[in-house]
Amino acid sequence: MIEIGHFLAFLTLTLSVLVAFVGLRGNRALAGQLSIAAFVLMTLSFLTIVQAFVRSDFSVELVANNSHTMKPMLYKFAGTWGNHEGSMALWCLVMAGFGAAGAYWLRSDRPVFEARVLGVQGLLGVGALAYLLFASSPFTRLDTAPLQGSDLNPLLQDPALAAHPPMLYLGYVGYSFVFALAAAALIEGRVDRQWAKIVRPWALAAFVPLTFGIALGSYWAYYELGWGGWWFWDPVENASLMPWLIGAAFMHSVTVTEKRGSLRSWTVLLAVAAFCFSILGAFLVRSGLLTSVHAFAVDPLRGSLLLTGLLIYGSFALGLFAWRAPTLKGGLDHYLASREGALIGNNLALGVATLTVLLGTLFPLIAEAFGQVMSVGEPYFNLTFTPIMALALIALPVVQAWSWGRADWASLWKWGAGFVGVVAFFWLIGFGVFDIPLLAGVGFAIGVWLIYGAGFEIWRRAKTAQRLFKLPVRVWGMTVSHIGLGVFVLGAVGETSLRSHTTLALEQGQSAELANWTFTLDRVDPIEGPNWYADRASLIVERGNEQIRLEPEKRIYPAARMPTTETAIHSTGAADLYVALGDKRIVDGTPRWTFEVFVKPLVDFIYFGSLLVGLGAAMAMVGRRKKVSE
Amino acid sequence: MKIALLVAGLALLQAGGATLDDPDEERRAQMLMREIRCVACENEPVSQSASDIAGDMRAQIRDMVAEGKSDREIRAWFVDRYGEFVLFRPKADNPWGWTLWTLPFVVLGVAGAGIVMSRNTRSLREDTVVAVPPDHEDDNRL
Repeated sequence: MIEIGHFLAFLTLTLSVLVAFVGLRGNRALAGQLSIAAFVLMTLSFLTIVQAFVRSDFSVELVANNSHTMKPMLYKFAGTWGNHEGSMALWCLVMAGFGAAGAYWLRSDRPVFEARVLGVQGLLGVGALAYLLFASSPFTRLDTAPLQGSDLNPLLQDPALAAHPPMLYLGYVGYSFVFALAAAALIEGRVDRQWAKIVRPWALAAFVPLTFGIALGSYWAYYELGWGGWWFWDPVENASLMPWLIGAAFMHSVTVTEKRGSLRSWTVLLAVAAFCFSILGAFLVRSGLLTSVHAFAVDPLRGSLLLTGLLIYGSFALGLFAWRAPTLKGGLDHYLASREGALIGNNLALGVATLTVLLGTLFPLIAEAFGQVMSVGEPYFNLTFTPIMALALIALPVVQAWSWGRADWASLWKWGAGFVGVVAFFWLIGFGVFDIPLLAGVGFAIGVWLIYGAGFEIWRRAKTAQRLFKLPVRVWGMTVSHIGLGVFVLGAVGETSLRSHTTLALEQGQSAELANWTFTLDRVDPIEGPNWYADRASLIVERGNEQIRLEPEKRIYPAARMPTTETAIHSTGAADLYVALGDKRIVDGTPRWTFEVFVKPLVDFIYFGSLLVGLGAAMAMVGRRKKVSE
Repeated sequence: MKIALLVAGLALLQAGGATLDDPDEERRAQMLMREIRCVACENEPVSQSASDIAGDMRAQIRDMVAEGKSDREIRAWFVDRYGEFVLFRPKADNPWGWTLWTLPFVVLGVAGAGIVMSRNTRSLREDTVVAVPPDHEDDNRL
C-alpha cells in the first residue's frame, strides 16, 4: 500500500507544478479543479501512511522506528504525525487542503487574482512536497521487516499531544494561504480594501487553530512534564509563539486596511511575514541548531534545506514587495490619536514583542559564533517581553473606544486614573491575607482592567441591552477575545506570583502540609497498562471538611525504555492541587517516595482565557452582512 | 577520598529533598533555581529537571541561601564553576549582554518615535479628517 501512497504523493507534486503554472497564468477554473484534485490525491497518499501505522506494518521504516503493536489504537493512529516524516506529510496535506478550500470558497469578481492565489499556493506546495519526497520520505520500505517496532516517544503518547500537531499545523500552514493571497495581490499590484476583506477570514482560519494548538501544547507540558510549568520560553515554544504574535498583529492591521484603505504596505508585509515565521519555526525545530526539550527529530541536512526554502520564498515575496511598495499608498488620512493610531500602536507592541522573542531565541547562537557563550531563559523574557506586552494591554481598553480618523486625547486622563485605582485596590488588599507583591498587583489590575474594558466598550457601542445582541458577531468576537486576554493574564499572574511548591519525601502513612492542605500518603501500588507498567501512589489530601484522593503515577514504557510522570491534578476552581511522583528511596529499611507538590492558584484561567481568545477569533470570522463598496 | 566524596554526595541528596524552613529564604532559593541552568540537560533550569546533577545544584542553592549568601554571590559561584552558560539571566556587563537587554526597548523607542514624527510632520487640514466612531464604520464613506 505504501508504494501507492508514494506514487500518489509524486502525482500530487506533479499536480502542484501544474497548479502553479496554470494558476500564475490566470486560469481560475482549471487551477481550481487541479487544486482540488491535488488535495484528494494527497489525502489518499496520507491515508496509506495512516494505514501502515494502524496495521503496524513494520516493513515501513517509519512505522518500525516509531510504533509498537502494544500501543493503544489512538496512539498508533496519532503516531502518524508524532515523527518528522509523518508530520511533514501532514504539513503537505494541510497545504493542499488550504489550496482546495481556496479553490472552493474564493468567490470574488476577480478570477485572475484568485487563479494567481492558487498558483502561489501550488508553488508553496511544490516546495513542501519536494522536501517530503526527497529529504524526509515516509514511504521507505525496509529490506527485512523487524518483528516489533521501537515505539513512539512515551511522552507523546497522550491525548493532548495526539491533537496538538494537527492544530498547530492548521495554523502554521494556514498562513501559507495568507502568504499566497499577499503574493498574488503584489503580483497584480492591487492591495486594497477588497483584498483586505478577502484575506481577513483566511488569516483568522489560521489564527484560531494556532491559538488552540499552542494552548494544548502548553497544557500538555503542564501535566505531563511534572514540573508544574506551563510555559518554558523554550526555542520550540518560541517558534510557535512568533507566528501567533505576527498573526495577531496582522488581524489588527488588516482591519485598518479593510475599513479605511490605509496601512496597505504594512499589512501585506505582515501577511508575508507570518508564513516566513512558520517556516523559520520548522527550521529551528528540525535543524538541531538549538537545543530544546521538545526537539524530537533533528537533522542538519533537513535544517539547511528548510533554511534554503525560507530564503527562496522569503526573497520571492520581499522582491515582489519591493517592486510594488511604491504603489501601495492611499486610504483615508488620520491623526496620531485615532483608531488607526491605536491599531498601529498594537502592531508596534506585537512587532517588538516578536522581535524580542526572536532575539532571545537566536542570540545565544549568534553570540556563540563569536565565541561568547551565554544562555537566555525565562528571566530575560519576563523583563523584556512581559513589560512591552503589559504596556499594550494597559492601553487597550482606552484606545479601543477611539474613532477612526481622529480621537480625543482627553479620554486618556480619565482612564489613566481608573487604572491607577485598580492597581491601588489590588495593592491594598495585598497587605491583608493575600500577601500580593506590587508587581503582581499591577498584573491582576491589568487582567481586571481588560475584562472590564472589553465589557465597557461593547456596552458603550450597544447603549441598550436590546441592541447588545444585534451588534455584529464580529464585535462580539473582539469582545470575547479581549476578555479572554484578561482571563489569561489573571491566570498567568496568579500562577506565577501565588503558587506554592515543595518537595516531599513520605513513608506510607506519613503526612505533610502545603498552603493549608494536608497531604497523606495512603499507599503505593504497582499497576500495569497496555504498553507500560507503573507505580501508582495514592494520597489523601485534606483541608477542613474537604477530602480528595490524588493518584500520581510513574510509568515505565519498556519498549522505549523510558519513564514518564503522570501527574495527578485536582482543580478546586480557585486553584489546582498538583502532585507528581518522583523516586523511591529506602531510608533505614523503609521505602520512602518523593513527591513534587504544587498548589497553583488560578492556573485554569490560563487555559480558559486562551480558549476564549481562540473562540473570539472564530466568531470574528463570521462576515458582515453588508458588502464593502470600493 | 572516594568514600568522602560518596558521603558528601549522599548528604547532598538528603538535603536536596528538603525545603528551607524560612519561607522567604525558600522563595528566594526557588527564584534562583529558575535562573540557573541545569548543566547536563537540554535547555532546562535546575528547577525543572529530574536529573541528579540538577538535584545537587538545587541543594547547593538552598545551602548557600541558608548560609546567608546574596543572589549575586550565588550566581558568581555557579559562573566560576560552569561559566556564563549556567545563567538564564545573562549579565549585562559586556557588549553582548547590554545589546541583548536594551535592543527590544531601543527598537520600541525608535519605531515609536518614527511613527509619532511621521504623523506630526504631515500637515493635516482640520476639515479633511472626519472622526468616524467605530460603531458607524459600516457607513462606507469611501
